[in-house]
Amino acid sequence: MEDGFKQPQRQSSIGVLLMFVNTLQQWGRALWPIALVYVFKIDELNKAYLFTGITFFLIVIGIIAYLKYLNFTFYLDDENKEFVINEGILNKTKTIIQLNKIQQVNINQSLIQRFIGVYELDVDTAGSSKKEGRIKAISHPSALSLKASLLENEKVEADSEKLEMALRSETAEERPFMEISFLSLLKVGITSNYVKSLGLIVAFVATVFENSKNFINQYDFDDEKIDAYLDKTRIIQSVAIIAFLLISAILIINLIRVVFRYFDYKITRQNGSLLLSFGLMSTKSTIIKPEKVQIVTITRNFFQKKMNILELKIKQATSGEKEERKSVIEIPGCNETESVEILKLLFLKAPEKGIMLKPNYRKLVFSIFLSIVLPLTAYFTFAKYIEPRFWDYAYLAPLYVFFVGSIVFFGFKNNRLFINDDFIIKQSGAWDVDNMIIEPGKIQAITTSQLFWHKSADIGSITIHTAGGNIAFQLGDYSKIKQYVNLWLFELETSNSNWM
Amino acid sequence: MENFTNEIIDTTQLPRFEEVEFSVLHSNYWKVTLINAFFFFLILAVGLGALLFFNQGLLVFLMEILVIYSVLLIAVLLLSRIGFKKKGFAFRTHDVLYRYGIIATNTIVIPYNRVQHVALHEGFVSRFFGLAKIEVFTAGGSSSDIQIPGIEMEQAENIKQLLMGKIQKEL
Repeated sequence: MEDGFKQPQRQSSIGVLLMFVNTLQQWGRALWPIALVYVFKIDELNKAYLFTGITFFLIVIGIIAYLKYLNFTFYLDDENKEFVINEGILNKTKTIIQLNKIQQVNINQSLIQRFIGVYELDVDTAGSSKKEGRIKAISHPSALSLKASLLENEKVEADSEKLEMALRSETAEERPFMEISFLSLLKVGITSNYVKSLGLIVAFVATVFENSKNFINQYDFDDEKIDAYLDKTRIIQSVAIIAFLLISAILIINLIRVVFRYFDYKITRQNGSLLLSFGLMSTKSTIIKPEKVQIVTITRNFFQKKMNILELKIKQATSGEKEERKSVIEIPGCNETESVEILKLLFLKAPEKGIMLKPNYRKLVFSIFLSIVLPLTAYFTFAKYIEPRFWDYAYLAPLYVFFVGSIVFFGFKNNRLFINDDFIIKQSGAWDVDNMIIEPGKIQAITTSQLFWHKSADIGSITIHTAGGNIAFQLGDYSKIKQYVNLWLFELETSNSNWM
Repeated sequence: MENFTNEIIDTTQLPRFEEVEFSVLHSNYWKVTLINAFFFFLILAVGLGALLFFNQGLLVFLMEILVIYSVLLIAVLLLSRIGFKKKGFAFRTHDVLYRYGIIATNTIVIPYNRVQHVALHEGFVSRFFGLAKIEVFTAGGSSSDIQIPGIEMEQAENIKQLLMGKIQKEL
């Protein structure tokens, strides 16, 4: 291993065994139903055939494993400063990773690998969740030396980071920069997550009802008596009571949830980062590094606007563990001025909405078609031709049209893209209005898209990809969108802005 | 610092990504697509044949099965042809563009300084025609990665070299 991995090389030769086990596992997973059939028929089968079959199967897997081993090579290209992995028997893939893009190199050992005495080496770069390079069988000394050579470039950077950390801990600020009061949490509790809590209640009632039905059946309740009891005048009353109970239950559940989760929410400033801590029973804490923030979403609905509260959701790019990647950091119930303060810390200045792009009216027409015309047509056709009893519920149709129609309409009305020099803000949502804020510097890639019959109308869509997710805006003024894409590309390509 | 200027950018004068001339995929890639489709439909036909052979009762639906099979075949061929015609790529000084889509025309642009890593993929059939697929990965997840198929092996190597060179320079 003294040549520093400059020549293409294979894995540890014992790794063939690992390949064999892995291939066997893969095939076994795919073929177990067939195997099961044979297990049941084992008595009827000719044992000689069975054993030849199994032997043949194992030999085939052995050959595949050996070919896999032969075709898997990796090396360090010193000249181009890249790490190259070749793999595949029939379909060949060559993965090339630039050394200075490598974020982490992990050495692991699974149970089988421990038996064989080899290690697995994973190479991870920023952003995407899957491991970019994986060597499955490598001896411990060469794993260590490979890791060292892979991370050689990194060393300088890591050292400087350590220094930074040391500096940081010296100047840590203890005084919380912002606290969310109990009153704000109460406000959040009564104004958000109605649908979520309703779902919880429905699930709860359904289980209770299911269980109690079994219970009641034992006592022989008379269905007719119950029907008589529920005469017309009482129905209206009881509906009102149930509605009232339901609403109060939703509010109470919301309140309890919010208070439990976010009690004593504190935000502390620590050199450039924000330190959050919250929770009633167990205190959770997270750290936000402004340079890693990709998307910030501000959510507020009509009630919250009246009460002057809003919710912030922050998505960061991390190269850490998987759960960490998925997590969205939430800051509930801050008021306007507080949110501006936080945004200033994250973005260095308060985001402003610039030029506004509206979606074309066709988006509204299409949503109406999809969510109103189509379901209603299906319903009426079904009622007319298949099940006439469905007509009994026809009076619900106008209600549905009104309810869904208003959601669609407000969703369309709120769908906007705001662009200025430093921010791109996408507004969307019917009741809870979201404002997703990104900086053009955080863009990873841009997709523009146009249906061929929209060419003459000059409308089209854009998807902005960042390391924290995508922002999509449909059916806007395509010329304008293209113009901004050109501008963003120009800005991205002329500066070396750091996206994390 | 004396030479520092900060002129207003005339956004209308910026290079336009929508006016870029796209290179089309290699004509042999259409053959690769056809061969892959052929194998797929061959396997499907064999499967259906076996099903009918062992389940003679299904023979009454023979007509329907044949109609569905041929409609599927024609649809797949037609859509792959349109898809093949639409696919195109372009490498500019600072970014790579890839155009694709059947009813919609999608164009994805990745600046070189956002590329994380590159992979070359040779399919079994493609290799006979000396074609490869270039995969460009960013940190934006699978929706922002691009896969350009149907590029000659030699050219693919050159493109890879170009990309790696660009990535390095950008840092």
